[in-house]
Amino acid sequence: MFRKKSLADIMNDLLTDEQYKDQISFWHTINEKEAAYAPFPDDLHEQLRIALEARGISSLYSHQSEAYRAIRGGRNIVAVTPTASGKTLCYNLPIIQTILEDADARALYLFPTKALSYDQKSELEELIHAADLKINSYTYDGDTPTSIRQKIRKAGHIVITNPDMLHSGILPHHTKWVSLFENLKYVVIDELHTYKGVFGSHTANVIRRLKRICRFYGSDPLFICTSATIANPQELAEALTETDMVLIDKNGAPSGKKHFVFYNPPIVNKPLNIRRSAVLEVRKIASDLLRNKIQTIVFARSRVRVEILLTYLQELVAKQLGPKAISGYRGGYLPTQRREIEKGLRDGTIYGVVSTNALELGVDIGQLQACIMTGYPGSIASAWQQAGRAGRRHGEALIIMVASSSPIDQFVIQHPDYFFNRNPETARINPDNLVILVDHLKCAAFEIPFKEGEQFGAAEITEILDYLAEEHVLHKNKDMWHWMNDAFPAHEISLRSASQENVVIIDRTNPKPRVIGETDRFSAMTLLHDEAIYLHQGIQYQVEYLDWEEKKAYVREVKVDYYTDANLAVQVDVLEIDEDKSNRQATVTYGDVSVRAMATIFKKIKFDTHENIGSGPIHLPEEEIHTNACMLSLNKDLADWKEERLEEGLMGASHALRGIIPVYVMCDPGDIHVYPQVKATHNDLPTIFVYDHYPGGIGLSKYMYENSETIIEATIDAIDACPCDSGCPSCVGTEGGGNSTKEDAVKILSILADRYAKGVMKHVH
Amino acid sequence: MSIKHKLNRMKAHLNTGKGDSKQQPVTSVSQPKIEIPHYKKWEEYGAKAIFMEDEYCLIREVSYPLTHRHGKYSFDMLLDIIRIWNESDVAHPLSAKGFQADNMFFFDTETTGLGGGAGTSIFLLGLAFIENGAVKVRQHFLPRPGYEVPFYKSFLEKVNYETLVTYNGKSFDWPQVVSQHTLHRGQLPKLPSFGHFDLYHAARRLWKNKLERVKLAVVEEEVLGFKREDDIPGYLAPMIYFDFVDRNDPEAIFKIMKHNELDVLSLITLYIHLSALLLNQEFAEHEDSYELARWFSALKDRGRAIQSFEKGVLETKKEDEGLIVKFHLANEHKKNRNVHTAAKIWLETVDLQQADLKAMSHLELAKYFEHTVKDVEAALYHARAALFAVVENNIQKASLKENDLHKRISRLEGKRLKAVNGQENR
Repeated sequence: MFRKKSLADIMNDLLTDEQYKDQISFWHTINEKEAAYAPFPDDLHEQLRIALEARGISSLYSHQSEAYRAIRGGRNIVAVTPTASGKTLCYNLPIIQTILEDADARALYLFPTKALSYDQKSELEELIHAADLKINSYTYDGDTPTSIRQKIRKAGHIVITNPDMLHSGILPHHTKWVSLFENLKYVVIDELHTYKGVFGSHTANVIRRLKRICRFYGSDPLFICTSATIANPQELAEALTETDMVLIDKNGAPSGKKHFVFYNPPIVNKPLNIRRSAVLEVRKIASDLLRNKIQTIVFARSRVRVEILLTYLQELVAKQLGPKAISGYRGGYLPTQRREIEKGLRDGTIYGVVSTNALELGVDIGQLQACIMTGYPGSIASAWQQAGRAGRRHGEALIIMVASSSPIDQFVIQHPDYFFNRNPETARINPDNLVILVDHLKCAAFEIPFKEGEQFGAAEITEILDYLAEEHVLHKNKDMWHWMNDAFPAHEISLRSASQENVVIIDRTNPKPRVIGETDRFSAMTLLHDEAIYLHQGIQYQVEYLDWEEKKAYVREVKVDYYTDANLAVQVDVLEIDEDKSNRQATVTYGDVSVRAMATIFKKIKFDTHENIGSGPIHLPEEEIHTNACMLSLNKDLADWKEERLEEGLMGASHALRGIIPVYVMCDPGDIHVYPQVKATHNDLPTIFVYDHYPGGIGLSKYMYENSETIIEATIDAIDACPCDSGCPSCVGTEGGGNSTKEDAVKILSILADRYAKGVMKHVH
Repeated sequence: MSIKHKLNRMKAHLNTGKGDSKQQPVTSVSQPKIEIPHYKKWEEYGAKAIFMEDEYCLIREVSYPLTHRHGKYSFDMLLDIIRIWNESDVAHPLSAKGFQADNMFFFDTETTGLGGGAGTSIFLLGLAFIENGAVKVRQHFLPRPGYEVPFYKSFLEKVNYETLVTYNGKSFDWPQVVSQHTLHRGQLPKLPSFGHFDLYHAARRLWKNKLERVKLAVVEEEVLGFKREDDIPGYLAPMIYFDFVDRNDPEAIFKIMKHNELDVLSLITLYIHLSALLLNQEFAEHEDSYELARWFSALKDRGRAIQSFEKGVLETKKEDEGLIVKFHLANEHKKNRNVHTAAKIWLETVDLQQADLKAMSHLELAKYFEHTVKDVEAALYHARAALFAVVENNIQKASLKENDLHKRISRLEGKRLKAVNGQENR
């Protein structure tokens, strides 16, 4: 008979069973931690204390108490709060206390997504309800019915929203929100670590606008931020809000013992270093856990993978556990569906969840016993957040990260030190990116005219305001700039998309066309040109017509046995070099570049055989962006190399850099581009360009420039550690194709990292 | 590199909302001593500047005799109609009971955009009202952004507005005034609370089926018998204003002011006409009795609803249209607890072509015969007829569910059986 195994049994299997034990590349144990408690604050309102006690809370964790005291003492705080550490009390407690003392006081809660605001609202309401308090809390977003909007504006003590709604729905209409802005005492920014890159840079400007409006109405709110573990929570919070922050990072919540296991699938093709698919390995491990009724969460990076895994697992365990025992969980689910899943997990009717990163954010699903990641989630912070899903306050938890063949995954799994000991990633924003800043200055001028000498955070704005006046967007009268346009600027500016105009993908398979997605213009050139085969959620679509003017791609579902691959000709021109740290071997500079890209032709490639079965031209205009770049050029004469060999070496080095840079820069791989040129036009040298894929740049290539040695060294290590013979997709890629590509890439990178000068390399081949 | 240099280079990414920028230089703005550009033209157009410290706004006044005819009516009819409101007992949201003619301010604005929000400014506030036996139009003009204080102050101080009459002012013009007032609070007197008649909602109720768009200009032409000549369309107002702010030449602004003047004058005519309809005045020729009746019905003024439906029947041209109006008339009688009268009409409206109304008529009759007349046979006949119409025409309506009709029929069959048995047992 089938005997149910415990979590301990399964851990033992992993260590001893033939099929697993060789794949475990690292086993890390984190010991349990006792809770650190602090008594309720003396001034805590009686009703609030009773309500907490009624919910079984008789004291606070030390960090909650610390936050309470700091906030009540008038300080802005950023609290670093791992999953399930009771972060919401850090802000709910002092805020409710303040409203109880002053019924006019108002607070604004910002959550990065709508889903999160609903979760947090229900938690907040439970507390308000339990304490029987007359405090109105409302979510205000695109779904809020018009009928209650006016009430929220006038009477909402706590208004819960997201940055996008604040940007386009609240700030431009601030005259309707007088009672909020006159009495705003607190702004809560939850999930601070998500405000990085373009989104963070936009949000920083939204906060500049918020603060400006508060000044107009005579309020000066405190900022309360909570963040997952990143290297620079305080720096990020201070950059986002442009105000001093107290860092609260001594967490008082208890945690159980955790086992963090790195799992590398077996190699199936030695020369090409191809490993078994991570998805298949995850399927095997997860079904072992689920069959033994161990509650498990499985993370996958794409929706398609979630669907695949879900189907596999449901098939495997449906008979034993029933069809509803395993559920998917990803963006696009309705709130009620999600509530049901969360409830099922808590009451034990659901054993397994397969999720995209949607669950990485602080949605409360309770705590599970095991967590499996299908591939490295892309950043250390994300990995820890996902890991935090497993681990109850008492008892043990198992976290398994199954690596894929991608260079990032292989780098991480072969460098556990990097993962466990290095600081987690640094989140960066650049609120003064000109494109972003100009967008928000327009919004701000729409909201309240600018006065000469007025501050807008740390930004230098006079010249921009003059420029906008010259462009007839603003009008200057005496010492004021006024909005002089019939547009509503916030509606034209999205906080999230990388470029302002995205291409919308419209499926017209059925009589009623529907929008199935969108993509930025650059990607659209190669993915959505006429006749392209576009994959969406595992379904093939053919592009019937790309309307470039209107930014719409019309697609229809098809079933074909090929995919398309488009050629993108890229030209990078250096406009201006701002910084230079060249050495004898390499020219390393940072500056402004113009990137021009044009899609030329596409090929049809048969599945399985990869035969080329046809091709066609692409008729699209050239696209140009101006951005920042780090330029890495080789001074050293590699004259004995033929151009072909040099090109292959540069391509290999670029491929490897493409994998490692996002790990260090903490960005989406799509945000930063690496492009090699055998003879760059600005200096005639072999050059690798690393540029921000966003007009004006958002500071990513700047970080690359500043840390080029470290990042290049890490890239060399990654290539060296790769067990393949002469290059594989995990290290230098296969585009180069030459036999010496791997060696050559290392050579090029070594020159760029200035290894020779440092004497690290003994000799040059 | 300088920021401006960068800005110019990155122009393509900056979407300034315009394609090629005009070569127009920005006019120098700060002037130590106020000298109003083209002031002569302004004066010739009837406008005067008023100054507050170093800011100013322009106010234009025009006067019309009460005998002046704008569209169908002359302005003195406003006095009549207000007198009739005061004598009448019609309780209606547009009633001027308790008001004098000179309490009412016909109001319209011109703005820099239609999107709303704090950045949409009003640059023209136009009013028409009766003063000293004449109709006066007064327009306040904002000569440039930044001079809002004299602009709003002059508007708020000068008059004692009690009731504003607008066209969509409840959701557009007035919130915009409130928003701009909020932006300059502290420098302006408090906003008084006004009464408000919004004629747009009335116009929509009456003419949304008849007119392609219920815009004021369309209502003027189709209903009020007023045709504009050389009118500048309202949507050009923002562009014209931006151009004025750049170049200061007021010629095009005068056209906007004329447009606004006609708007507020038309509001007077529209108010007279709507009131005449509501007050059942002979002089107002119209064929809107059916819509008027529905409006009275929504306001639960049964007597007037019935009266207007009856007139509505006479206004229809085709028989079936007449029956539709009659169907609503019957409902009104029912709501007025006059079932017998209603039933008589339903007996006619069962001949309707429109299947759902036909079925409804049968259903009402089934109820009437079952509960009021207590004639089970007749009730059964009509219930079956209703069911037949529903099934035949596949009607999906909450009040006409097939299931409910089946239940009704079996209940009636039960009743009939009981009655038959009762007779036999006796």
